[in-house]
Amino acid sequence: MALWLEPDSENITPEAQTDLDALSALRESAAIELKEKGNEYVKLGKKYYKDAIDCYSRAIQQKSMDAVNTSILHANRAQVHLLLGNNRHALDDAQQAITLNKANVKACFRGAKAALALGSISEAIELCSLGLKEEPENMELSKLKAIIENKAKESAAADAERASKVAKAQVLASIILDRGVSVGNPDYEENTAHRRPWLDDSKLLHWPVLLLYPESMASDFIEDFCEFDTFAAHLDNIFGPDVASPAWDSKCNYTREKVRLFYKSNKGPKLSKGQLLGYLLEGKSLPTEIKDVEDINDNDSQPYKYLHEWKIVPEKSSLHDILARKDHIIPGIPVFYVLSKGSSFYDDFLSGHW
Amino acid sequence: MATELDELIGFLSSPSPQEARKSIIEALVNLSQVPKLGEFIIQKGGIEKSMELIGGQVQILNQLLTLLIVNLTQSDLGVKRLLQEADKLEGLYVRKLVRLFSKASEGVEDYYEHVASILVNVTQRESGRRLILDPKKGLLKQILPHSDSTSLVRRKGVISTVRNCCFEAENELASILSVSQYLWPALLLPLAGKQIFRKEDTSKMPLELANPLSHERESEGESCIRIEAAEALYLIARHEGGRKALWSVNGPRILQIGYEDEEDHEVMEAYERLGSLLVNEGIVHES
Repeated sequence: MALWLEPDSENITPEAQTDLDALSALRESAAIELKEKGNEYVKLGKKYYKDAIDCYSRAIQQKSMDAVNTSILHANRAQVHLLLGNNRHALDDAQQAITLNKANVKACFRGAKAALALGSISEAIELCSLGLKEEPENMELSKLKAIIENKAKESAAADAERASKVAKAQVLASIILDRGVSVGNPDYEENTAHRRPWLDDSKLLHWPVLLLYPESMASDFIEDFCEFDTFAAHLDNIFGPDVASPAWDSKCNYTREKVRLFYKSNKGPKLSKGQLLGYLLEGKSLPTEIKDVEDINDNDSQPYKYLHEWKIVPEKSSLHDILARKDHIIPGIPVFYVLSKGSSFYDDFLSGHW
Repeated sequence: MATELDELIGFLSSPSPQEARKSIIEALVNLSQVPKLGEFIIQKGGIEKSMELIGGQVQILNQLLTLLIVNLTQSDLGVKRLLQEADKLEGLYVRKLVRLFSKASEGVEDYYEHVASILVNVTQRESGRRLILDPKKGLLKQILPHSDSTSLVRRKGVISTVRNCCFEAENELASILSVSQYLWPALLLPLAGKQIFRKEDTSKMPLELANPLSHERESEGESCIRIEAAEALYLIARHEGGRKALWSVNGPRILQIGYEDEEDHEVMEAYERLGSLLVNEGIVHES
């Protein structure tokens, strides 16, 4: 038998040629058989998908079919990969199929689905368009293209929104740092419903401010304290003439004239600029760091080794002035402690017995 | 003429006896009053040369140099050169001038008082206003306390400079209010008249206002200064944040009392404009 003759050798005898043709036909029918076997396996269900892939692969390995038919093999294998969730393999097969025969619209469809699943939106759209060029009326492809384009729009919109949020937070973080405000770990998230500082139209900073009453463990929350407001103005509001004493203040010590405000000094450490950005954006308790942010004050994020002291707040100062003090590190938002000069608790508190 | 001027400016850089230098600078001061000649001097490096020499030992020269720069900064070109725009050292000249202006001691002859007039010229340009307002540079903080100087030139210059800067209130309100401690005395005391304020009014003011207003004092005699102070306040009060801040130091009460004693019609009009702005715009306020 002339099995080992080189196909293009000069001296092929007619008998040898017949042998070669017979072999070729055998291989081709084997491939067709494998293809049909594969199709059968697919119909049998998920348990047999691996076998189906096996058949298609062996059929392809025969290399006995023409481009159009091999393309079909790849497209079929792509389909099974899709069903199994092997999107990368599915895409590869679909692309192979298209290379062999660009009119293979099924391959375009399957390739687009695989690309979409992989998040390759632009490739998915390209494949749809390729298919629609061959069959402009193909409903399935048109529908798929519409779905993908929608997804692309949604994704772009979400990206743009996030980018805008980040940009706003960066501006806010810069302004906070420019004002000389030191922000430390947010310790009071639950008491303040994750409220954050904000900028008004004139680019003035507004802070949510927490007032704590150590004597009674009560608290007050000032929703909007503009940086240039004085403490006096807000105290007038809270302890005004027509406001009743708090229920826990049986001795009526907490009146406008008797209240005093304090902050705790050096309650570090400070957040880095990246952490500050994370805090402003995410509102989580322990801020994750946002990378790629310049950190000018890196050495300041060392734990504060200085003494914690109670510092009194002159009520005619503005919030801006008190926040800018170098020893003042706010726990996410400004927190001030309210005491009464008329209560014996005052001295206890200041001498550190609290 | 051109070549003579060239020579004159040239003499400035080369070592010359003090008397010669003095005469040269005096000549330049006179010549620079003519706009075209001023421009020529600027183009030949007049600003840069002056800034090189200023701050030296001979005080009379310093005074003449400030006068020269005042004249040269009447033109936009002069201001640009003084601001060193688009230069890596942007703002360095102005900062040097403000430093010299602030250090000058009272009682002795005031050699740097005319820096106040230079600053008025500088703040004609937006970049100049922004430089003065920049909180990181702290220039406004250094300038404002001179608003009650005995030198009229200083007082006038400071108030005009602040008034010019207030044109940036829309974008720089925070920078303006960040120096409140010095700003309100500078703008409100000239408009407070002569009356001694009562405790019920001063108790609502910060110390820097309450103290002077509780005592006998000289009121601001120059009507143009009172007008410019009112204008500056107007520019600030156009914004809600500015009005709130003004109310928080009991500003409107100061204006109300000061207005009672005002006799100059132009100044009264300025009070009235400011007053109606405060009343009409209004904010939620505890009186």
